[in-house]
Amino acid sequence: MSSTPSIAPAPRFRISRHRILAWWGSGLACLLSLIGLLLCWFNPAIGAPLRPGLDFTGGTQIQLERACGVSCSALSSAQIQQPVARLQLPAEPGTPAPNLASAAVQVLDQGRSLVLRLPAVNPEQAAAVVAAVREVAGPLNASGTSVDTIGPTLGDQLLKGSLLSLLVSFAAIALYITFRYDRIFAGLALLCLAHDVLITCGVFAWLGLLSGIEVDSLFAVSLITVAGYSVTDTVVVFDRIREQKTLLAGLPMSEQVDVAVDATLTRSLYTSLTTLLPLVALIFFGGSTLFWFAVALTVGIAVGSWSSIGIAPTLLPLFSRR
Amino acid sequence: MARQQGWFALILALAIAAGALLVSFPLQLGLDLRGGSQLTLQVLPAGSIRSVQKEQLEAVKDVLERRINGLGVAESTLQTVGDDQLVLQLPGEQDPSRAAKVLGTTALLEFRAQRPGTEQEMTGLLKLKRQAQAVLNQSQVKAAAIANGQPVPPAVSIKAEELAEALTQLGISVPPGSSETEQLELLLSTVNTKIVALYDPAELTGKDLTSAGRQQQQTGTGWEVTLAFNSEGGKKFAELTKGIAGTSRLLGIVLDGRSISEATVGPEFKPAGISGGAASITGNFTADEARDLEVQLRGGSLPLPVKLIEVRTVGPSLGAENIRSSLIAALSGLALVAVFMVVVYRLPGVVSVLALSLYSLFNLAVYALIPVTLSLPGIAGFILSIGMAVDANVLIFERVKEELRSGNTLIRSIDTGFSLAFSSILDGHVTGLISCAALFALGTGLVKGFAVTLAIGLLLSLFTALTCTRTLLRLLMSYPGLRRSTYFLPAAQLPASAS
Repeated sequence: MSSTPSIAPAPRFRISRHRILAWWGSGLACLLSLIGLLLCWFNPAIGAPLRPGLDFTGGTQIQLERACGVSCSALSSAQIQQPVARLQLPAEPGTPAPNLASAAVQVLDQGRSLVLRLPAVNPEQAAAVVAAVREVAGPLNASGTSVDTIGPTLGDQLLKGSLLSLLVSFAAIALYITFRYDRIFAGLALLCLAHDVLITCGVFAWLGLLSGIEVDSLFAVSLITVAGYSVTDTVVVFDRIREQKTLLAGLPMSEQVDVAVDATLTRSLYTSLTTLLPLVALIFFGGSTLFWFAVALTVGIAVGSWSSIGIAPTLLPLFSRR
Repeated sequence: MARQQGWFALILALAIAAGALLVSFPLQLGLDLRGGSQLTLQVLPAGSIRSVQKEQLEAVKDVLERRINGLGVAESTLQTVGDDQLVLQLPGEQDPSRAAKVLGTTALLEFRAQRPGTEQEMTGLLKLKRQAQAVLNQSQVKAAAIANGQPVPPAVSIKAEELAEALTQLGISVPPGSSETEQLELLLSTVNTKIVALYDPAELTGKDLTSAGRQQQQTGTGWEVTLAFNSEGGKKFAELTKGIAGTSRLLGIVLDGRSISEATVGPEFKPAGISGGAASITGNFTADEARDLEVQLRGGSLPLPVKLIEVRTVGPSLGAENIRSSLIAALSGLALVAVFMVVVYRLPGVVSVLALSLYSLFNLAVYALIPVTLSLPGIAGFILSIGMAVDANVLIFERVKEELRSGNTLIRSIDTGFSLAFSSILDGHVTGLISCAALFALGTGLVKGFAVTLAIGLLLSLFTALTCTRTLLRLLMSYPGLRRSTYFLPAAQLPASAS
């Protein structure tokens, strides 16, 4: 305390002393994520690094609510799958009626609601499918029905748009940091960002492999948000390092880093905590639509907070020109 | 202090304005929150047009707008999205199939004269057409006869071998396992396309129509669609009918490349053609079909074909469920954050809770003003931007605490805290805005909604963190009773000299 009073107190917590452990931890997590992504890719049932949802593959998803409350009779998915597969759909002039043999049916909430996944059908055909299901599972609650149809071209557009916006925002952020700080900072911020996005994707690859969780366009949104957060977190630490540069010029880089991380540690943890609080609320109360979105963000922000404390600053001395 | 009071007055005025805005302009809720149907149409380039231009997209939109108005759906909205897409929202509509049908067709109406020398082929095709129609329409004819109390006409059928022969003759390969009805429909649509090939190119099209109507056919059970031409169209129609009057050649009415009606023109029209600029299409329509056709013709034909690429329908109770759960999530998230801030930061924590409430109010007011249609991803963007706004406050207060710990006076610490935290707050917000810009420019639908609310949140958060929090804090500091370091930091953390 006495050597550098008032401006740079000796750090209570020296991140550099734990850097080997931090690198191992992150390296292992990245490796596991990569394995998950590759397993997904080589899994014939998935064939992509992540299990793509309706938004990307195109198709029709029909969600139905049975109007029987607690007294719903037991229902197996095969009971619905069979009549749907046999259904003769009204044809559209010029195109053959879609084949429903590949329809997938899920029964949820003890038989109270149903989710059907079909090839893309037009609204008239979707109404015919709902009518066929009503015969078996009816009566249905008309106000609890939702039908989503995404044409294959739109799915493709969405995928391309999401990937492109991810890459463009990465590049633009890198440029901004190069302009505000320097290239090394930008490189490290991007490395951290890639680390955070990779681990978030990895978690969802494993979720897709083990429990069939699919990624939709909201997942792409969450990745970009995670990227933004990750950079913000990293920048706060870098900002502190830059601010102290002249003051602590005599100290080795790793000690400068320790001082900066220690000074910003409370802020980093509090910020992650205050961001995670609304997300946890979303997970618990946000309903099914936003559940996996909130999970992806929670994972990404937690990882992003970690990398801005444990990875970006500890790597800085390695690349520093001194 | 005068400057602080000026800012305070401004913030107060903004808060009142925001409140008033919210009362007079209610928030617009997306279909995922209120229930309804959303249809996305892609405009396809056709013919000599390689890519869809802005004017063509607008032209398509105009036509579709007229068609939707013709359908009589309440408060529908049609918006262009990107370079070549249109999104139609039908709040409260649970069955979008009718809208999909009316929107999807080009409705290019053509009046064409039969080419000389094709009479024999035409006769054969028309015979097949009538046969197929008779079998296909009989259930309808029967129902109408029963409804009108007329005797039920005898059942019409087509022999299996006759049908098979007709199909092979026209070169139609039948998909295995198809029913008789399906085969007949296939036959009918092929015949209708083949008939079109026997006509001369169109001289008169739907462009020259001034109005369309519908009425019950005088003979038979169906409906007919009546047409009125403008003066040029009337002239063209007279020319067209004059050319074929008294011959056995036919006048064909072709819609979207399929013949819907064929008519002979009597010899009495030889001298001048059918004048008067009116005509009717008798195509054995049902009341609904006639109405849809009328709507399409009235709206005009689409300059380019469109394709339905996305349909989303959400039931109203699902929408209500979504609102309820996101509201609970947003409010409980905010409450948790508020408790956290007050516990950790004491007096400034209370100030930041006030500032954050103002922040939420401004956010909602901006949504109402722009207006932003609030959808689920939009709400998610809002909740997340709260996180960013809190972060700005945390950064500032941590800096203030640091300054206090190193023995600075309270007022000095506050000022230094704000100015030192500024650069990292700015960097964080700018990188966030960069992501939003990328999402908005390249993303679609849902993603855009998220980007818009997050961007609004970020901009407002810069304002509230740097202005509202600061002004409120400085204002409170003008009361000597509140000017105590222990309201900012536990006494144990203060250097001995400062307390």
